[in-house]
Amino acid sequence: MFLGVWLFTGCKKMLDVDSTRLVNEEHMWVSMEDSRAALIGVYGLTRAALADNNAYWLYGDVRAGEFKAPTRQDLKAIIFNDLTASYPSMEALTDWRRWYAVVNAANIFLERIHEVKENDDRYTDNNMTVDIAQIRFLRAFAYFYMVRIWGDVPLITSSYDGNFENKPRDNQDKILTWAEQEMLAAAVDLPFRYSSGDEQQIGNYYNEDATRWMGALVRKTTAYAMLAHLAAWQGNYPEAATYSKFVLEMYPVGGLGYTETDDLTNANGFFYNKRENQLFGFNFDWGHIDASFTGHLEELTLASPLVNKSVPDIYLTKDSILSVFNELGDERFSLDTLGNPTTENYFMNFNGKYPIFSKIKCIMGGSTADPNFRTFSSAIVLTRLEDITLLRAEALAVLGERSGAIENLNVIRELRGLENFNEATGGNLIDAIFKERKRELMGEGQRWYDLVRYNRIRNNNPAFTKLINEGGIYWPINRSLLSQNDQLEQNAYWK
Amino acid sequence: MPKNLHVKWLYQTMAVFYCSFLLTWSDGYAQTAQDSIPADSTETITDSLQEKQPKIDFTDLPKKTVGASVKELSVFPAVSLQQSLKGQVPGLYIQESSGEPGTIQQMYIRGVPMPLFSAKEVYQSQPLVVLDGIPLIGEHPFAYDIQQYDFNRIGPATNLLTNIDMNNIATVEVLKDMAGMALYGPLAANGVILLTSKQVSSKLAIDAHAYFGVAQRPTVTTINGEYENNFRRQFYDLYTATGKYSEDDVYPLYLSDSLNFDYYGPSNWTDTYYKNGLQHGVTADISGGGDRANFRFSLGNLRQEGIADGTGLNRYSAMFHVNMKPLKWLLFSAMINGNRLDRQRNHNMRDRFAEVGYLPDLQAPLAPNNDIYSRYMLQYDNGFDNNYTNIIEGHAKLVADFDKFKYTTQLVVDYNEGYRDIFYPRPLLDGNSYASNYYGFSQRMIYENFGSYDWNINDHHHLYLQAGNILQWDSYKYNYAYAYKGVNDFIKLNLLESDPNNDNYLNPTAFPKQLVYKFLDRTKQNLVSFYGKASYKYDAYTVSLLLRTDGSSNAQPTERWLFTPALSLGWDIKEASLQENKVWSTLNLRLNAGRLGRLNAYDNFSQGPSYTADVTFTGNVTTPGYNGIATLNRPYNFGWVGYGIPWAYTDQLDLGVDVGLLNDRITASIDGYIKEDKNQLLGIPAYAEYGYSRSYEPGMSVRNTGVDLLLSAAILPKTSPRNLGWSASLNLNFNQNKLTALPRGLEELVIDNRLLRVGAPIDQYWLLTNDGMYQADEEVPQVDGVAQTYNGITLHGGDPIWRDLNGDNRINDEDKSLQGNIFPKVVGGFNNQFSYGNWSLGLNFYFNLGRKIINEEMANRFDFVNREGTINMSSVKEITFWEKRGDYNKYPLYNPWSTVIPYRNEQDLFLENGSFLKLRTISLGYDLSDWLKQMSSKVKRIYVYGTVNNVFTVSPYSGRDPELVNYTGYDAGYGMAIPRTYTLGFKMDL
Repeated sequence: MFLGVWLFTGCKKMLDVDSTRLVNEEHMWVSMEDSRAALIGVYGLTRAALADNNAYWLYGDVRAGEFKAPTRQDLKAIIFNDLTASYPSMEALTDWRRWYAVVNAANIFLERIHEVKENDDRYTDNNMTVDIAQIRFLRAFAYFYMVRIWGDVPLITSSYDGNFENKPRDNQDKILTWAEQEMLAAAVDLPFRYSSGDEQQIGNYYNEDATRWMGALVRKTTAYAMLAHLAAWQGNYPEAATYSKFVLEMYPVGGLGYTETDDLTNANGFFYNKRENQLFGFNFDWGHIDASFTGHLEELTLASPLVNKSVPDIYLTKDSILSVFNELGDERFSLDTLGNPTTENYFMNFNGKYPIFSKIKCIMGGSTADPNFRTFSSAIVLTRLEDITLLRAEALAVLGERSGAIENLNVIRELRGLENFNEATGGNLIDAIFKERKRELMGEGQRWYDLVRYNRIRNNNPAFTKLINEGGIYWPINRSLLSQNDQLEQNAYWK
Repeated sequence: MPKNLHVKWLYQTMAVFYCSFLLTWSDGYAQTAQDSIPADSTETITDSLQEKQPKIDFTDLPKKTVGASVKELSVFPAVSLQQSLKGQVPGLYIQESSGEPGTIQQMYIRGVPMPLFSAKEVYQSQPLVVLDGIPLIGEHPFAYDIQQYDFNRIGPATNLLTNIDMNNIATVEVLKDMAGMALYGPLAANGVILLTSKQVSSKLAIDAHAYFGVAQRPTVTTINGEYENNFRRQFYDLYTATGKYSEDDVYPLYLSDSLNFDYYGPSNWTDTYYKNGLQHGVTADISGGGDRANFRFSLGNLRQEGIADGTGLNRYSAMFHVNMKPLKWLLFSAMINGNRLDRQRNHNMRDRFAEVGYLPDLQAPLAPNNDIYSRYMLQYDNGFDNNYTNIIEGHAKLVADFDKFKYTTQLVVDYNEGYRDIFYPRPLLDGNSYASNYYGFSQRMIYENFGSYDWNINDHHHLYLQAGNILQWDSYKYNYAYAYKGVNDFIKLNLLESDPNNDNYLNPTAFPKQLVYKFLDRTKQNLVSFYGKASYKYDAYTVSLLLRTDGSSNAQPTERWLFTPALSLGWDIKEASLQENKVWSTLNLRLNAGRLGRLNAYDNFSQGPSYTADVTFTGNVTTPGYNGIATLNRPYNFGWVGYGIPWAYTDQLDLGVDVGLLNDRITASIDGYIKEDKNQLLGIPAYAEYGYSRSYEPGMSVRNTGVDLLLSAAILPKTSPRNLGWSASLNLNFNQNKLTALPRGLEELVIDNRLLRVGAPIDQYWLLTNDGMYQADEEVPQVDGVAQTYNGITLHGGDPIWRDLNGDNRINDEDKSLQGNIFPKVVGGFNNQFSYGNWSLGLNFYFNLGRKIINEEMANRFDFVNREGTINMSSVKEITFWEKRGDYNKYPLYNPWSTVIPYRNEQDLFLENGSFLKLRTISLGYDLSDWLKQMSSKVKRIYVYGTVNNVFTVSPYSGRDPELVNYTGYDAGYGMAIPRTYTLGFKMDL
């Protein structure tokens, strides 16, 4: 009998098992630890979207068609613009789900963060303001990135948690306008640095010191840098000039500076782990046991003798290297008068069958001593000061402010050991700026978008212009997305 | 330990145990017991050990469910329960997709209840195995969450049902209908295999069974680099002018250098890879005691070597039963079954790379030359790969027996733990060493109480009532850590700093701490059940009703409980109206219908919307955080789980008839059934614009309809020792599955390259139809000047002609159709037993009909362009790459460089008929008992026998053994051949 009574009362207890594998609604949004986990989660999801199948470089570098892919058929298909070919990586690249995970996580954050404020006294107004600004920026950035890949996409700014609706695609101009407003609003609240006595971010951010946060989070300069990119993509060069000017004026406040060539290409240099100079970066910190086999340019470009791999996934032929690195004294790569490479900063094994594009080579703990283990710790860097400097040069050049443009161009040329731009022999200024961008930002996921902007400005390549006009610069939308949401329509070019 | 030592150890232990037992037991206790217990009490002791089903002849249960007797089953040199039962039970389909000893094998009773996309669904489709009332716990699939590839579960991945020694088993029953299953509750939703071990007798008895055998090394044709080169050259000759398809095209070095002896020399790797495998099994048991207390103890050892790659399994088993009757009305009984399994696993590179998570440069595959290959294999000797599993289950039961009323309370524990410790030295992985340690357990504890009232009212009426309560706690856990790049190849363990005063406390010392990864996971599932059952028999009529309610912690709080009924009717027509009839010796009609809940395997579903640490991406599936800080977000990669998820359940209707003719010389059981698994959760690809990979929604229903037939006949009854006896038994299952509903009322859905369509089977392939080849660009059909495309890519000469089903001149998924079935429509076995004098001869056939296989191995070989040189799992070539398999001439020579991937495996070009017939066992035995009698030996019976197993296979399939295919239906060539074995054995009763 007793047993029976115990059984009935004990039953409910026995069946309420709290999962140790996940956190349910009851236990979320109650403390600062939750807001930190959710905030960092949005960063983590953004990194995952960029790193998945090396999407950042396949979209940004491989698609530009300048690299060659000797073995990987999927990369060949991208190079030949066969974007509907069915390889697993292509299936992933045509799928925007990971970007919408960023958007949804951000939307939930914005809707629920007030609960932490209500539940946890430690969570200050200032902390919340800075958190919200970062989340708004990351959400806007996700849309900007998606618009560059797919053109029109559904603009969803609420989580619709549990009441999901299928949405049609929204006009990309509308999205970019919205994203610009969001980024501007975020920029107002973002600090220049974290845990460093910035007046907009008081005290140690989440009780971690400045070394934890350097380069890892979005800052005010980050927001303006991406705003400059966004405006340039829209062809709104006056705004691009304004936004880039802010970055170039205020970068010292954020502890940023220009990166010397050696540091840029060192195995433990600019790209290794995290640093302030990564103006917008996502690190894979070796010390945090976060190095990985994939999600790095090195996985595509490096091969023997740097790592144990006989053939690189992508490489540049000697001819195509020489067609851009054709100026003496370039610290990145140049030939001496005898035709021998003077430096191996950008390319190793230049005279071999496969010149190895070795600009980024953060192997394991930032050393090239051991080629055996292909795990990498380089950060995904979306922009840095040099990029914004050249972007400003581009904007000024388009706006006809040649001297300002040349001045900015020369900042980079000097930095890399080149002579100043010679108006007489340097050729078209726009061409020179884009050529500099190509050399400087090679392998940083920029080239494809540069090509699009370049062709929009110069309009001198009929095939590319046709691609732009027909919407062929966008990627097809994954078939599975189309079948699960009947409101979507395939990009016209890929129908 | 060498083999003979094992045997010695076994006998010594036996002897010691036996002696000590005799001393303590026979002198005192047993004698006093004998005095006070009536003679028939033995009966009671053994009976109460039987399972929960009453032992009255209620006619709503089938008479016989297994084709062969346990005695016949035990002659087959099986290591697993699955192998013992394969082809013996109508309606039980067993997939043995590899002949490697101790690997996981799947069982399905009456079809598959859900589409099988991954190992997770397979896990949820397995029947329950009950050993002496203990519902055995398997491993939980949650470990797959941290795995990029699901070829094997992390850990030892040993088949846990290798813990059944058929020599300990008295009866095997398979419960397939609600009359039998419903009593076992939601665990039994996929059917029940009921094993009852041999019971104790009050007389002292010793039995022994031993066999020795050899698994025969297979004969295969090998190829070398030259052969492969010639094969590939055909394509270059056809499609290239210069021997290079494009300027980037890289021809693999190992094929291009004809002077390279490693690849172009003799292909004799088989001398190291294949060998004859030795096998033995020894089991001995002793039972005895008195009427008031008795026991049975059994010990066994089994060793089975595979025929390839140094594989094998060792099993040490011990089983102990004890019954005691301290009071006349009280019975205590306990059972413990303990097994240790030690498995030597294959050295497939694919499996190793999947475990390591890292792929070395794959430009040069293993060479087919034996010198090179054997030197390579020696590297493994500098490392280890230890796989141990300990399984122990037991119960302790008290039965209070007041004649009609019985009350049973029992405690059941089932625990299994697996260990896997690995060290791979540097040369095996491009100069990086790798160490990993896994420990995981699954544990089930049950506290069960039930009372029964068995009232034989009079000659016509019989009533049986039973009510009970079951509390069940399941918990699963694993710890897993792996590390790369140890300081050298001599420290093979992932050592941690053990000094708490050291700053480096608990940090790894032999491996860099940045390359050490640790995982810990734990999940629980509790189940509470209440049930009541009433059976009533009136002469020839039986009616039983079972009502139960089950609460699961993996069900959502609002939907925690499920009430399910089961009703069964039996009509013994023989007794009712054919008692005088000479022809009909048995005629029994059964009808039952009922419902059982299906459990959620994951606790994710009980929590509703939740948050998890998952910021992973392809190739990096374990990242829990960013910037050294753990994250919490919605489980975007897992999928959306909302509220209000109800229980899934299975409904079944079964109509059966048991027939016996001519004094049961011919018996047959025929069961027709309709089984529908309803309201199941399905991850629908949805809400991508909210970040989710899928949305888990209830509403999927799958119906399996079929017939089970078990026909036995004494064709030549054995009337005297001098005439020939022949008995035969045929068992057959015909099953068809159909998807009857999808969530949201959807009509069709595409998931992972599979199409689910309401009204169509769930196990069909979704394929393009291949109609040949476009010889030239001009042959590609054009509509309005636009040539036919495949997924937007224009087709050219050298590309396949894929049938344009919807006529839009665009080949895409809409031109795929459902074809063939992964699972056979007809599965059966045919057993024959001949006897003459003391001789007996057995022949056992096994067959599958109406199934198709995708010969993926051939597809991969032809698709060499996409599988060469890249650092990708698809480029991994095992040593068996150098084995000639399949028929190359069946396939046209497409342009392999085409981006439409002409040799893609999702087309009917590679779809083949996978039906087969096997002669699984020939056994010949001789009973020496008569001779022993003449010798007046103490030995009661000696039976010696020899068997040949897996004698031959007849199949239209052009690949290897069509059995070597797993639940996907794709034959990737990874299954290790099921060997032909020869055994010699004896059984002895003292």
